[in-house]
Amino acid sequence: MANTTSVQYEPVAEIGGGAYGTVYKARDIESGQFVALKSVRVQTDQNGLPISTVREVALLRRLEQFDHPNVVRLMDVCATQRSDQETKVTLVFEHVDQDLKTYLERAPAPGLSPDCIKDLMRQLLCGLAFLHSNRVMHRDLKPENILVTSQGQVKLADFGLARIYSCHMALTPVVVTLWYRPPEVLLQSSYATPVDIWSTGCIFAEMFRRKPLFCGESEVDQLGKIFEVIGLPPEDEWPTDITLSRKNFPPLMPRPIADVVSEINEQGGKLLLNMLTFDPLKRISALNALEHPYFHDDETLTQTKS
Amino acid sequence: DERRAPLRTWANACGPIDRWQPVEVDEPRMAPVKMEPERKWVHNCPVILSSSHSGGDGCVEQTALLYPHGLQSLHSLQALVPSLLRLEVEKSLEALGLIWDRSYAWDVFLDIMRTQTRNMLPNADLPQHFTDATRAVLVNWLIQVHEMMHFQDETLYLAIHLLNCSLRHIKVTTANLQLLGMVCLFLAAKKEESLLPEVSGLCYLMDHTYTKHQLLRMERKVLCGLKFNLSYSPPLHFLVLLASVARCSAKAVWMARYLLELSLLEGQCLVFLPVQLAGAALCLSRQVLQEPQTPEGEAAWCLASSIHVGSETVVLRIMHILAKAAATAHAQETCATFIKFSSPETLHVSRHLGLKNISALLGVCP
Repeated sequence: MANTTSVQYEPVAEIGGGAYGTVYKARDIESGQFVALKSVRVQTDQNGLPISTVREVALLRRLEQFDHPNVVRLMDVCATQRSDQETKVTLVFEHVDQDLKTYLERAPAPGLSPDCIKDLMRQLLCGLAFLHSNRVMHRDLKPENILVTSQGQVKLADFGLARIYSCHMALTPVVVTLWYRPPEVLLQSSYATPVDIWSTGCIFAEMFRRKPLFCGESEVDQLGKIFEVIGLPPEDEWPTDITLSRKNFPPLMPRPIADVVSEINEQGGKLLLNMLTFDPLKRISALNALEHPYFHDDETLTQTKS
Repeated sequence: DERRAPLRTWANACGPIDRWQPVEVDEPRMAPVKMEPERKWVHNCPVILSSSHSGGDGCVEQTALLYPHGLQSLHSLQALVPSLLRLEVEKSLEALGLIWDRSYAWDVFLDIMRTQTRNMLPNADLPQHFTDATRAVLVNWLIQVHEMMHFQDETLYLAIHLLNCSLRHIKVTTANLQLLGMVCLFLAAKKEESLLPEVSGLCYLMDHTYTKHQLLRMERKVLCGLKFNLSYSPPLHFLVLLASVARCSAKAVWMARYLLELSLLEGQCLVFLPVQLAGAALCLSRQVLQEPQTPEGEAAWCLASSIHVGSETVVLRIMHILAKAAATAHAQETCATFIKFSSPETLHVSRHLGLKNISALLGVCP
C-alpha cells in the first residue's frame, strides 16, 4: 500500500512550501498528466484515522462530483501508515501552472483590462458561491491559491484544507500572510463564510492596483491599515467577545474608495465596499455579489442577450 | 470457513428472541397492485392545489400566472405538476429537518437525485467466493451489531453501501470478509455518528479473530480503495421524503422501513437506485396495510409517485423481490431485521399477517 502513490506518481519538482507543508509537482505515470501532490501527516490513535480527517476528505470528494469549473480537481486520495501514531494522507490535485499572483505580475504595463477583471471576479465568486452553498469555507483565500489556467479559467485551490491540516499546523508554526484577513479574524472573534468575501474584496482591489491593498506587519498594524480605508467602525459594530478595545485605534473617517483604487468604476467601487464591510453579517454574500449591478452593466453581456 | 465462526456465533446468540407481542390485525384485504394511472392527476390535483393555496406560499400563484388561460384545462394542470411537487418536496425536506434553509431545498433534492445515479453499481455481481447467501449472513450480522451499538439508521445504509463498493474495489479473502464488513460499519459511524466505539470493542465483537492492527490496516485499505468517497444518499432519506409528501401513516412508514431494510439482505437489489427502492417499499407497504383511502391521501400519493414516472417496471420488480423476502423473513437464518421490526416501537410491522400470505403478495406482483 505504502508505495502505490509513489509508484503511480513520479515527482517532478517541489513547488513551494505552502502553509500546510510541502507540495510536489508530479507526473501521473498512467496518463502523463501533471498533478500537485499535497501530503498531510495526521496523528492517529488506536482508533485509526480521526473523524475530522475522514469527514473533511469525504466532503472534498463529494464536492468533486459536481465538477465545478471554478474549483480545482481533486483526483485521488491515499492514506498510508507512517508509524503507529502517524498516517500520511496524500491529496492528488490537478496541476495548474499559474496562480493569480503570477498572472497579475505577468500582465503588461497598464495592467488587466476592466473586462478581464470583471471576468476573473465573476469566476472567483462563482467558485466561492459553490463552496459556501456546500458549507465549505476557504479561510485562507489569496492570489497564491487562486489558479488561472492558460485559457483564463479561474480555479480555487486549497479550500477546506484548514481542518484537515489542523493537527499538522499545531506542530509547525508557519507564517501565514495577514493581508487578506478580515477584521473578525484579526480581532480573534467568531467567523464564518464572510471571511472569504473580505479576502475576495482585497483581491478585487489588488487586480486594479497590481499591489496588495492592506500590507500590515502585525495583527494590530493590519487592522490600522484597514481602518485607514474603511474608517473606524462604530462602537455598536465592535465585537463584544474580544479583548482588543476599539479605543486603541484613532477615530478615522472612511476614505473615498476611488482614492485607494483609482481605475475602478462606480458600480465596482460599490461592490468593493460591500465586500470590505466591517460587520461580517452586513457583508455581501457570494451569491448576492454575483447579482450586483457591477456584473450587469456589461456591454458584451447585453449584446449576447439580445 | 472456521474463521467465520464468530460471525455464526453472534448470529446464533441473537437468534429469534421473542420480543414481539401478538398483534390483532384485520384480515388483510388483498387488492391487485397497479401503478397509479396517469389520468388520476386530473382528478386529484385540484385537491392539492387548494391546500397549497391556503399554505400561503407564492409558488403556486406564480405558476398560475404563467398559465393564465384556465386551470381547468388538462394541459395547464400537467404543467402545474412539477411546481406542486417542488413545493411539497421543499416543505417535506424542511419538516424532516433534512435542510436548514428552504431556499436551498430544491437544489438539495435535485442534488440527491443526481448523485444517487453516480453511486449506483453497474451490476449485482459479487466476487466469486462471495455468494448471495454469504453476503446475506454478513449483512445480517452487521444489522445486529448496528442495532446493538444504537447507531443511526443512516449509518447502516451507508455501511452496506460501503461494503458493496469495497467488494468491487479491493481484494479480500473469504477469511477477511467479516473484518471488511466491520470496517465498513466503523467508517460509516465515523462519517455519521457522534459517539464512536473503540476499535478494541469491535475486535471483541469478532471474538478477537482479527487484531486491532489488522482492523486499522483494513480501514486504510478501504479508504484508499474507495478514494475516500464516503458520501451517499441513503434510500431511507428518499423513503421519509416520499412518505412525507404522500402523507403516509406512521404504520405505513414503519412497514416501508422494514421492507426497505430487507432489501439490504438481497444481493439482487444492489443495482437499483435508492429512490426506486424507497418507492417500491412504500408502494408495497400501502398494498399490505390497505389503509382506508381519502381523496387527499390519494392525491398526495399520486404526487409522490410522480417521482417514479418512467420507472414503474423497475419499481414493480423491486416490490416482487421485497414481497418474497418479507414472506419468508421469519423462517430465515438471517432474521435480524424481522426481529428488529417485530418490536412494539416499530408497531410490530414484520409480524403483520398481510406479509405472510406469499401467494397473494406474489400474485399481485407479477
